[in-house]
Formats: sequence, structure tokens, C-alpha cells
Amino acid sequence: MIGKGLLKGLGITLKHGVEKPKTIQYPEQRPYLQERFRGCLEFDYKNCIVCGMCTKACPNNVLSFETAPIEGSKKKRLVSYTIDLQYCMFCNLCVEACPTNTLFFVHDFELSTYRRDEIKKVYIPPALTQVDAGGGQAELIPQDALEPDREAEAEAKRLKQLQAMKTALSKGGQKVLAKYVDTEEDAAVLANLLQADEKKRDKMAALIVDDKEKARKVAQAFVAKERKTQAGGEEK
Amino acid sequence: MEHLFTNIAQILTSWMVSLGLPPIWADLILLIGQWTIIVVIVTLNVIVLVWLERKISGFIQERLGPNRLGPFGAFQTIADAMKLLTKEDIIPSQADRWIFMTAPMLFIVIAVMLYAVLPLGQGMEVVDLNVGLFYFISLGSLSTICLLMAGWGSNNKWSLLGAMRSVAQMISYEIPLAFSLLGVVMLAGSLNLSEIVTAQNRYWFILLQPVAFLTYFIAATAELNRGPFDMPEAEQELTAGAYTEYTGMRWALFFLAEYTNLVAVSALAATLFFGGGQGPWLPSWLWIIIKTYLIMLVFMWMKWTFPRIRMDHLMSFSWKVLIPVSLANILITGLGIEFFRGMGW
Amino acid sequence: MSLMIINDLVFVLIASITLLSALGMVLSRNIVHSALALILTFIGVAALFFNLGAAFLGLVQILVYAGAISVLIIFAIMLVMHGEAHKTNRFNPSLGTHLWGGYIAAVMTIGLVAAIWFSELPEVKGRTVEDAVGLLAGLLLGNYVIAFEAAAVLLLLAVVGAIILARGVEEQ
Ligand code: SF4
Ligand code: SF4
Repeated sequence: MIGKGLLKGLGITLKHGVEKPKTIQYPEQRPYLQERFRGCLEFDYKNCIVCGMCTKACPNNVLSFETAPIEGSKKKRLVSYTIDLQYCMFCNLCVEACPTNTLFFVHDFELSTYRRDEIKKVYIPPALTQVDAGGGQAELIPQDALEPDREAEAEAKRLKQLQAMKTALSKGGQKVLAKYVDTEEDAAVLANLLQADEKKRDKMAALIVDDKEKARKVAQAFVAKERKTQAGGEEK
Repeated sequence: MEHLFTNIAQILTSWMVSLGLPPIWADLILLIGQWTIIVVIVTLNVIVLVWLERKISGFIQERLGPNRLGPFGAFQTIADAMKLLTKEDIIPSQADRWIFMTAPMLFIVIAVMLYAVLPLGQGMEVVDLNVGLFYFISLGSLSTICLLMAGWGSNNKWSLLGAMRSVAQMISYEIPLAFSLLGVVMLAGSLNLSEIVTAQNRYWFILLQPVAFLTYFIAATAELNRGPFDMPEAEQELTAGAYTEYTGMRWALFFLAEYTNLVAVSALAATLFFGGGQGPWLPSWLWIIIKTYLIMLVFMWMKWTFPRIRMDHLMSFSWKVLIPVSLANILITGLGIEFFRGMGW
Repeated sequence: MSLMIINDLVFVLIASITLLSALGMVLSRNIVHSALALILTFIGVAALFFNLGAAFLGLVQILVYAGAISVLIIFAIMLVMHGEAHKTNRFNPSLGTHLWGGYIAAVMTIGLVAAIWFSELPEVKGRTVEDAVGLLAGLLLGNYVIAFEAAAVLLLLAVVGAIILARGVEEQ
């Protein structure tokens, strides 16, 4: 029949006409990206071993880096690493070539910039300091690696104090406790109590190390409770 | 409701006469008023139509269509119209200035003049011409001249070629268009559009003249330079044919005229084949609007479904298929009429 | 103002537009402008028909002359034209040609005016004829059917001839 194809075409468009539109309204609705979606190429300088595999792999000469020799060592250090994204075709070859997973793709795909040179990404690792690696060898490590770790130190100190307090309390420690209760008597009661109950002792020790104010309140509460039970026991 | 507009017109005339105006002046003023209203409605309607066309093309392609400005993007075309109005009006320095400038105006004037005889409801035609249908066809044939003027005036060979293609297409499709309408005229026994509507009291002519309707529909699509027959314009391949050099409002006038023609041709189809304003419950002017819009929807649906037809196929389709078919339709209609008359119907 | 005066005014307007565009057609130096002016003349004549109440004839004038024949003329002009447009319609410089043209025009005008002047035109009562189309159809396909068909055959022959001329006869 003549015109059958035309009718079929009309039917198809009609069918699609009533179907739900597939549009994703982009800035408001974000597209669903597959896990291995190749958005922006990123570089993590910490892992780079400056082997140059990536530059060899890239067909578009996107990647380049500058190195400087490390004195007294065969190794080189990274001065800067440049990804000129405008030439990148997101082929993944560099990522496959890199032995240390330094290069990787992230999901960020909004790469346009206002100026051409803004699309070039330059990574400069933080300034390096030379340290003696022993055996007459010098090694460069990042500055912050040399600085003492304050937080870790503080934590270690606290742990030490806690341990000391715990031992003190298990051996009595009336004098320490006297600071937190009103009378000597109370201190004695508390000392006995803490000696008997390890849980409460640990709690008290932690509180004394961390928060003196709270420790006072808790100590008084312990004393009052202990007094009450003692009184109850005597009545019985 | 049925006589809402005719009553308004009557009240206005009698009011003007009571003010002491001679009746002929009152009629003239009323005529001018009707024209103004038609022009305004046509222009506003184009805004709706452009929006509708974009929405439909969007839905067919599983897109959303315009959806930013206003509810469902309804104001998008208004923004576009603003843009076109404020754009620079470029007239090429080597163009034939006057021809270049008048072509779009004439085109839209002719397109609007088509509405003079269309019965937009019972007793709602501006002029009740007793050769209304013929008026429609002959005025339509004038728009080819405008395209030629546009193509020639641009002084650009691609414009001229595009114009020539349009004109060749329009002239060849004018013939089956007129022939397909002849069947209806023979059945109704009149060229007056409102009489043709009345003649459809019993049956709509689509039932008696399905072949005529098909040929009319195809030929009208080609006359409108609409897809799948939009070869002369073909904005994706040729830079819009005769409209190449036009910018801003002058280009928009062509655009406006094309949509105006679309409405006119659809309204004519509704009038000739679908009983015009006849229909239950609703007033006649509402019926004709509904029918016109439905026909336009089909036009749009076809445009966004079918691929463009090659120029030589286009021409040979007109001369080798449409014209013989419409001629045969006339013959069969004549025989049928004589036959039934002989049977004493 | 009475209806008659308005009618006369409209006639004068239409007639002057028609005459002016006819003059423009003759005098324009650009042949495409001439063709467009010719179209305007055709439309003016159609308007005169409307003014006389012969709407059908006016529309035929528009459809056939302004819509179809003129497009043909323009096509022909555009296809064969070369060189610059504004030099296409030059006046013929020879005096003899001018004189001949003037002579023929004068004879035509005098002949037409005399013919109108001396013929007795019956006065028509009532401007429009009801169902002019039907009347015309009855005449064409009734009384004058032979002439009508002869014209049709003539046109058909012309079309066939044109096609043969355009495509060329196949060499045997
Ligand atoms: S993805 Fe391909 S083109 Fe881009 S940097 Fe890596 S290797 Fe070069
Ligand atoms: S391949 Fe990886 S480790 Fe080697 S230079 Fe490139 S980024 Fe650094």
C-alpha cells in the first residue's frame, strides 16, 4: 500500500511525542556519571616518582614536568608538573602508564575557563628541605614532614598523664582527690570507693586529666551517693 | 454565544449610525476595525504557533522544548520577537533597494488579505464574496511574485536560485491545489465559502472527497514551503533560500507571513472539508478555531516526521502524481454528481 | 458624500495607479523593474474589474496574468539576462523607431476610442449579475464550447511544442 511507510513514520513520532522527555536540565539537574567517567585529569604530587612514563604515553603532549637533581642522590625531585588540559583528549593512556596511580580522573567535567591559560593546570609541590638520610645520602622531604607533630605529641602527653593518674588512684591518692571534694573525710571515702571500683576510677582519672571542673562535680556526686548507700546499709 | 461577535458588530454599527454617521461610513469604520482585529490576532497567534511548533518538535524528539521563560516557556517567542525587532536592519549595498524592502511587506499583506473571505464563524467573514474560494487561490498565487522580488532584490545568486526554486515549486503545486478544490466546488455548487459551509449540513466533504482532501493537504504543504516540502528554504542546507540576505524585522515578516499562511490554509481546509463552524454544543467560531488548530497540529506533526524531499522528486510528484489524481477526482466527482442526480437525489 | 462620488474617486485612484505603473513599465531602465511594474498594471486592471462588479474576471486577471504569466516573464528575463541590470532596458536611440512606435500607438488609440465612441453600449441595470460564474460557465461550456475546446487544444499543442523544443528531438 502506498503511504504505509509515511503512516508508520507518523506513528513513530507520535509514540515518541508522548514519551517522557530525556532531557537533563543541566545546571539544576546533574547528570548521572558512571564511576569510571573521565572528567578532569588530576595529579597527586605525593605519589609521583618522576619516572616520565606519563609524558611518554601521552599522544598529545599534554603532560610535562620540571625536575631538579637531588644533591648526593641519583633521584630527581619534582619542581612542577603541568597538565595542559586544552590538548587532552581524555584517552586514559597516561593513567594506565603511571606506575603509582599519581594521575587519575575525577568527575568534575566543567572545565571551561575564561582565559586560555587558565585551563593549564600547574602543580608545584610544597618547598622541599634537604635532610640527611644517613649513609652520607641526602634526601629531600617536604617541609611539613620535618615539623614535629604537635597534636600527636599532645596526645601522647595526655596518655602518659592518664596512666599516671590511674596508678595513683588505684593506690589510694587521697591527696589528689582532696582537691576535688570539700573535706578530708570525703576524700577518704572517695579514695576507698575508687580503689574498689575500677570503672569509676578510670572515669575519674580521665576527668581529672581533661576537665578539672567536671571532675569536681562528679567527685562530689560520687561521695554523696556513697554516703547515702553507707547510711542505708547502717540502717539495715 | 453563537452570535456574540456578529451582535457586537451590529451594535457598533447601529451606535455609530445613531451618532449621525452615514451608514456607509459606519460600515467602513467597522471594516477597518475588523481588519485591525484580524491583523492583531494573526500576529499574536503566530507567537503561540511558534511556541507550539517548538514544543511539538521537542516532544517528538523527546526534548522539552522551550521551558525557561514563563510557564512552559510560553514567553520565549515574545523574547525572540523582541530580539528580531531590535536587531539591525541590514540592506546589502548592492541590493535593489526598493524591491528588497517591499518584498516582505507585500508578502505579509497578501497573507493577511487571505483572511478577508474566510468565514471565521457563522456570518463572520469580513467580505462575503461570492467567488471567495477563487479569491483565495488567486491571491495565493501572488505571493510567488513576492518571493521572486525578495530573491531578485537581494542581488545574491543564492537568494535568486532559492527564490526560483520556491516559485517553481509553488507554481507547480498551485495547479493540483486548485484542482483538488474543484471537487468541493462541484459538490457545493458555489464558490462562496459560507455557502460551501452550509452545503456541508448533512455530510462533511471529507467523507465525499477524501482524495481531494489528500491532494489539497499535500499541495498546501508544498505551497506553504513547509517540511517535508521545504526544499526552497531548507535552512540546514541552503541558507534559507530567498531569505538569505534578510535580517531582523524584515526576515521576521517573512516568518510571520509563513505562519499566517499556515493558519489561512488550515482554516480553509477546515472550512471546505470539515464543515467549517459546524459542530455540536460550541459556538461556530470556537469550532473553526478548534478545527484549524487540529489541522495545524497535523501539519506540524508531518513536518517533524518526514525528511525533506529531493527537488526533482518534488516536481515530478506534483506533475506526475498529484495533477493526474486531482483531475481524475474531478472526473469521478462529475460522474458521481450526474449519476446521483439521475437517480433523483 | 454619495456612493457615486466615492465610486468615482476609487475609479480615478485605481486608473491613475494603473496608468502610472504602465508608464513606469515603459520608461524604466531596469527590465526587472519593468516586469514588476507590468504586474502592478495587471493588478490595477483587475481592480478595475472589481470596481465594475466583475469580481470573477478580476480574479482571473490576477491569477492568470499577475500570478502566472508575469512569473513566466520574470523567469525568462532573469534566465537570459546578463550584464548589469540597470542597463537592460535601454531606449532605442534611432529616431525612425520612435516615430514608428508613436505612429502605431496613435493609430491604436484612435481606433479604440472610435470603436468605443461609435458602438452602442447597452445600459446595464443593476451592477452585479447573480452567479456570474455559473453564467460564464454555461456560456463557455454551452454555446461556445467549440471555441473553448479549440483554444484548449491549441494550448495543449503549444505546450507539447514547447516541450519538444526544450528537450530536443532525439537523433535517429
Ligand atoms: S588522557 Fe590522554 S591526552 Fe590526556 S593527558 Fe592523558 S594521555 Fe594525554
Ligand atoms: S607516570 Fe606517574 S609517577 Fe611517573 S612521572 Fe608520570 S605521574 Fe609521576
